[in-house]
Amino acid sequence: MAVLIADKRVLHADLDGDSVRAANGSMVAYTGKVEFKYASGGGGFRAAMKRGVAGESISLMTCTGAGRVYLAQDAMDVTVVQLSNDRMTVESEHILAITDGLQLDVQFSGLRGMTTGKGVATTTVTGTGQCAIMSDGPLIALAVTPGQPLVVDPDVYVAGTGQTQMSIISGVSWRSVIGEDTGEHFSLRFEGQGTIYIQPAER
Amino acid sequence: MAFESVNSKVVRAQISQQGAVLARRGAMLGYDGNVSFRPLAHAPGAGMITGESNKMMASEGSGSVLYGYRGLYVTVIVLTGDSLSVEADRILAHDASLQTSVEMIAQGGVRSAVRGAMTGQGLFTTRISGHGSVAVLSHGGTFPLQLSGQTVGVDPQAYVGHSGALQVDLKSSVGMRHLVGRGSGEAFQLHVSGHGTVYVQASEEKF
Repeated sequence: MAVLIADKRVLHADLDGDSVRAANGSMVAYTGKVEFKYASGGGGFRAAMKRGVAGESISLMTCTGAGRVYLAQDAMDVTVVQLSNDRMTVESEHILAITDGLQLDVQFSGLRGMTTGKGVATTTVTGTGQCAIMSDGPLIALAVTPGQPLVVDPDVYVAGTGQTQMSIISGVSWRSVIGEDTGEHFSLRFEGQGTIYIQPAER
Repeated sequence: MAFESVNSKVVRAQISQQGAVLARRGAMLGYDGNVSFRPLAHAPGAGMITGESNKMMASEGSGSVLYGYRGLYVTVIVLTGDSLSVEADRILAHDASLQTSVEMIAQGGVRSAVRGAMTGQGLFTTRISGHGSVAVLSHGGTFPLQLSGQTVGVDPQAYVGHSGALQVDLKSSVGMRHLVGRGSGEAFQLHVSGHGTVYVQASEEKF
């Protein structure tokens, strides 16, 4: 079973005759015998259709073989999240690598994507395995519990696990119209039970 | 006279009458003591031909100087009689007692020429040798890969430098898939083999 270990801004993927899927072009070095092949986002024809409609641009490659692959992109911090028969939603451009036991699916994020100008889809990772996500600065995990909703800026939201419902709060008022706004037009509000991951930089 | 890391992006160098420090021009952040900065003239022509030149300055006198550049990560590499090959762009500072020379990467003739052109790396690297320390710039910090006989593949954009008796070779695996835009993004790789250390950065950004 491939093992992912995060070392600050570099991810070590130890392969033992199996494979991991990683962001296209994210290999910085490798030892051993490893092949790199383009992989589609997975999920077959239906998923491909959804990607086409949603404009989701996740492009992955498969790293197969035995050895250690060093993965990194744009000097972003790397965090490995362990999923055991679980589900996590991640902003697509923040996925660095996933192990074999996980499936990727595209999900429409509706209004949120439109307001934040990031396209209308996010990626859902389901199954058992490890998922490496990258963030501009160290990732921060914030808990959401019933009765304790969490509000975050859409530009810092990276990923979320657990059962949470998301809604959008608009901060637009007459002040925004006259140019005296705070720069916080929209916020994401999470309710339920789970963990939300944010990065300390706005995209 | 090893450089002292102030944080991951700034180093402090002690400067004495015997030990001057050469640094990238404009990389001084602050200093104390009695230090003067003098631009270094290049041997005319050399830099123009190889493209492997960088405006350097000498820090002389006595005191300590802080160096940093554009918020890039700084890695201090200590040389004890061995040599380090690194691109001139990446050198932040080094002890003046170290010898630098410009050389062709890999004695491969046409092959290395192709490599330089393909990877945008240029044909020449700077070789630093002697006893002293070098501060090397990188995007995202470097990590060393120790080699003792085996081969590692390195992304040309992420390659920072190497020291020791290493052979650097460009391998390409361009196939039909790359031509139709379905490549894995790893069409070109540097295959490094031998005994020594390769320095790799956590990003594919060149500067």
